[in-house]
Amino acid sequence: MDTIITIKDVSFNYVTGEQISRGVKNVNLEIERGSFVVLLGHNGSGKSTLAKLLNGFLTPTEGEIIVDGINTADESKIFDLRSRVGMVFQNPDNQMVASIIEDDLAFGPENLGVEREEIGRRINWALDIVNMSEHRHRTPTKLSGGQKQRIAIAAVLAMLPNILILDESTAMLDPKGRSEVLETAHKLNKEENMTVILITHYMDEAIDADRIVVMNDGEVILDGAPSEVYQQTDVIRRAGLELPVAARVSEKLIERGYPIKFCLTDKELAEELCQLK
Amino acid sequence: MSIEIKNLSFVYGAKSAYEKRALEDVSFTIKDGETLGIIGTTGSGKSTLIQHLNALIRVTNGSIVIDDIDLSQKRINLQLLRSKIGMLFQYPEYQLFEDTVEADVAFGPKNFGYKKEDIDYMVRQAIELVGLDYYEVKDKSPFELSGGQKRRVAIAGIIASRPSILVLDEPTAGLDPIGKREILDLVKRLKDSFVKTIIMISHNMDEIAEYCDHVIVLHEGKLIYDTTPEELFSDKEKLVGTGLSLPHTVNIARLLSEKGVEINESCLDVDSLVNAIEKAVPNE
Repeated sequence: MDTIITIKDVSFNYVTGEQISRGVKNVNLEIERGSFVVLLGHNGSGKSTLAKLLNGFLTPTEGEIIVDGINTADESKIFDLRSRVGMVFQNPDNQMVASIIEDDLAFGPENLGVEREEIGRRINWALDIVNMSEHRHRTPTKLSGGQKQRIAIAAVLAMLPNILILDESTAMLDPKGRSEVLETAHKLNKEENMTVILITHYMDEAIDADRIVVMNDGEVILDGAPSEVYQQTDVIRRAGLELPVAARVSEKLIERGYPIKFCLTDKELAEELCQLK
Repeated sequence: MSIEIKNLSFVYGAKSAYEKRALEDVSFTIKDGETLGIIGTTGSGKSTLIQHLNALIRVTNGSIVIDDIDLSQKRINLQLLRSKIGMLFQYPEYQLFEDTVEADVAFGPKNFGYKKEDIDYMVRQAIELVGLDYYEVKDKSPFELSGGQKRRVAIAGIIASRPSILVLDEPTAGLDPIGKREILDLVKRLKDSFVKTIIMISHNMDEIAEYCDHVIVLHEGKLIYDTTPEELFSDKEKLVGTGLSLPHTVNIARLLSEKGVEINESCLDVDSLVNAIEKAVPNE
């Protein structure tokens, strides 16, 4: 396995005054290059803390994290680290720095001293991937939430990261915006071999992932392929998450003796049931 | 206290280059005691509609009568209107501003001119109604609280003035499943208090199906359905073309019907769907 991220015995404590609260504890994870990983957990479960540890916003209290060969605690390499790990946050309105979209995309690479022509090439490429090329001369304020988040992704792409972290980037969007952002993330993963870490509390966003990591109280409590993880219904409920409707229906039917498999999507469940007829 | 909306139309930036028709000839009635769900895609006119209800947007075309207040009149008693209708905007936790939870919740009643003793009682009751411990949170800064708690403080700030109608714009947006459940159960519980009528915008069809008894659908500024969730979601083709999705339970029933497994009951929650499946596909 070509490992891009190694998290080894990592704990992190938040210290405010005399109060110490645990962010994450004893996390061990290896993430494969080019994989699509979903980090699930309720608010306060430690998933965002873990994300902030990955690009050096926070450094571990114990243990170490190696991202693409860089130790995140190594301050001399912090800029290198941050250009490799691109992060998009929750609120689409808090991430725009310029009044014209192409300027917004140029902001990152300009600050890294990238040449003008190269910046132009990157902007073309990034806007094309997120399907926003026609908007390049417009102002971000008039865009929908989903479009704004796609611009935020493009701005991160202009820094040529190897890893894209979406920290609840779909939470504030309507259903259409959510699917636009998810499609973009999957496209980047498939076509550009980008390692994607999607942080969310919507279980249905995790169905198409390669791997799901579920966190609760700062600890990793489940880790595996979606079909394996979803079957752990009790653990998932205890972690404060909600199973997709199809999973809840199939779970109840199985309890009542139906010979069907555990289903994650509406379509899968309908197909299973039809075979019984 | 019913709300009657007749032939309501609204245009943003009328007669300018940016003219945009947001509402077109919308008419419907909200009865006392209902939980109304408003659904529609972004830009369908939902927010424009609810902003009319407490006169943040004035009626320019058509009429709205709430109880005995006619909002199409030039002069209306805004104070009276806004004490009857509480409005909770999207992400209300961003609107908290006072130093303590108690002061934040008291802001509304104070501005409506209640006496000090009354305010103290109203604040305490509101904080308890939203399920927070009054003595534990009253002196805390609202910014120390978790996301779900902040949102509950914001709701307490609205209901402290005892509105009989509560309007909620996407009350569960951005919350995790536990937070969502808490807010929805809270909304349900509020109906046993002085809040009689609830109007709620939501993108989540499962929520609408489960919690509302009346639903309207807006599409490009027009009212296209005014019905019950059972009715709306029973015809699986009704929402096609509106950009809206069906609740998952209804969608599963629709997929089964397409494959020749007819499910005739309306299935608005998991249990009723499971029961309907048991009838349609007996387990040998």
